[in-house]
Amino acid sequence: MADKAKSLPGELRIEGPPQPRALRLLTVVTVLGFAATLVLGLGLAGVDIQQGEIQRIFYIHMPSFFGAFTAFGLTVAGGLLYLARKSEKWDRIALAGVEVGLAFSLINLLTGAIWARPIWNTWWTWDPRLTSAAIMCLTYAAYLMLRAGIEDAGRRRAFMSVYGILAFVTVLITLFIIRIVPETIHPMIVGASPQKAQGSFEATSGVVIALIPSLLLWLTLMPITIIWHRVRLEERMEALHRLKMQALSE
Amino acid sequence: MLMKTAITVLALAFALLTNVVTLAQDGEEPRAPYFQSRAFNVPILAGWDDQSGESFAQFHLAEAQATIRTTTRAERDPIAAAEAELAMLTSLRAPPPSYSGKVNLADGTWHVLVYDLEEETTASVMARVAADRVAVISFIERDPAARTAVLTLARSDGSHEVASREMIFAADTLAATAPSDLLQEESVTLPSGEWAVYAGEGMTVMGLVFGNDSYVALQQGEQGDLAALADAYNRTLLGFFITPDNRHYLALALAVVFVILGALVGSLFWRERGLRKDLTVLEELARAEE
Repeated sequence: MADKAKSLPGELRIEGPPQPRALRLLTVVTVLGFAATLVLGLGLAGVDIQQGEIQRIFYIHMPSFFGAFTAFGLTVAGGLLYLARKSEKWDRIALAGVEVGLAFSLINLLTGAIWARPIWNTWWTWDPRLTSAAIMCLTYAAYLMLRAGIEDAGRRRAFMSVYGILAFVTVLITLFIIRIVPETIHPMIVGASPQKAQGSFEATSGVVIALIPSLLLWLTLMPITIIWHRVRLEERMEALHRLKMQALSE
Repeated sequence: MLMKTAITVLALAFALLTNVVTLAQDGEEPRAPYFQSRAFNVPILAGWDDQSGESFAQFHLAEAQATIRTTTRAERDPIAAAEAELAMLTSLRAPPPSYSGKVNLADGTWHVLVYDLEEETTASVMARVAADRVAVISFIERDPAARTAVLTLARSDGSHEVASREMIFAADTLAATAPSDLLQEESVTLPSGEWAVYAGEGMTVMGLVFGNDSYVALQQGEQGDLAALADAYNRTLLGFFITPDNRHYLALALAVVFVILGALVGSLFWRERGLRKDLTVLEELARAEE
């Protein structure tokens, strides 16, 4: 591909630098870590005698939210740094953070709904935590739609940086709402559950042993690895776009 | 820059997780020991001799000559299952029950049965359909000096905080004792709750209100450990639960996780492929122009 790029007018290259060794290593560790956490959560952790097998989804449900937290946090960081330095690389990180965070949020939301069906006897209820999580997903889905609708690159980057920073409020609300609004049936695993919580279980040592590696993986390795790949792809996509514009102008 | 970000996030994550582990360990409290099996779970009765096997929970109190046994049976009919269980336990053929009724508890409809099997053996049984089997909780008392029975009854009047009506009903039904023969004594507080106590000549009746139901224990003859027996049976019944089989929901949830992650990672590959195709087209255009 590098050879192809060299033959193009203007000597433009869309191939970025070769994949860093750290990224390759991170990818391998992430894939192996994901497999290991599945073995821990689905195989080695005991069955919850009250909730049954469905409780095991908790080892993905809760960590996926924290993965989204990291990704959306990087969107905030990317947005702030873009506004301060006007460098496109920060905008790429912000965009990648939204895509990855939205996927993780959907995992969180849908696995929660599937857990709720046998435990709460409903797929969905307008509980404060569930409602705020749904609003969070919609807010970030709107980010991607709005971004696609702004033609001017400079305005798009600046506007979406501000949007990405403000949208993080929905993440914080989702995170803290069950500690603020007592009228929730959503359980808390760490700390006392709200009085009306349905389907609680204790963070026993068995649960913690399966949960911690999964939480660590989803909080750090998974979002960072995928975002890194996405940022590299965005660099090449932007370069290709410039190449197309150049070809059209000639 | 991404490496620096990664290191910062890892450090923050480590600090957060250390905090989570500490909180989790602080929050871990000793739990009531449970007999656990694939079919059902019941509390282990402290102070009772544990005679449980792989598929049944059985606890025996020697001084009261009482046994509480929980199991599941293959019979489809709860009454047939209860009588088969008693026949297996006592080698006696069950006569028509002294009391037979139904009560709706949180986990389903239970059949409530009391049998006077022979002179010194009384059996109180609760049975309900549980998927393709029948769960049976039996209370068997073999004390020749006493007759003890336990009943669960739907409350006839939800406004009363004392199970007086159900206690009188039990005394009338099981011991043919007129309500005027019973005197109310002070209540007694047990781990299962605060029980009302009615006493008559040679008979004690205890009653506990819980939700929409009343739990009644009746003892005739030599007065012994009625409180301990009533409390143990009540805790067994209210502590009984079946671990739900919801493996298909877990499979569905895992499928959703893999589909979303697959779509995310797949979209990277798909866009990369599109990018290469576009590049090829541009290259061909450039060649054509040359």
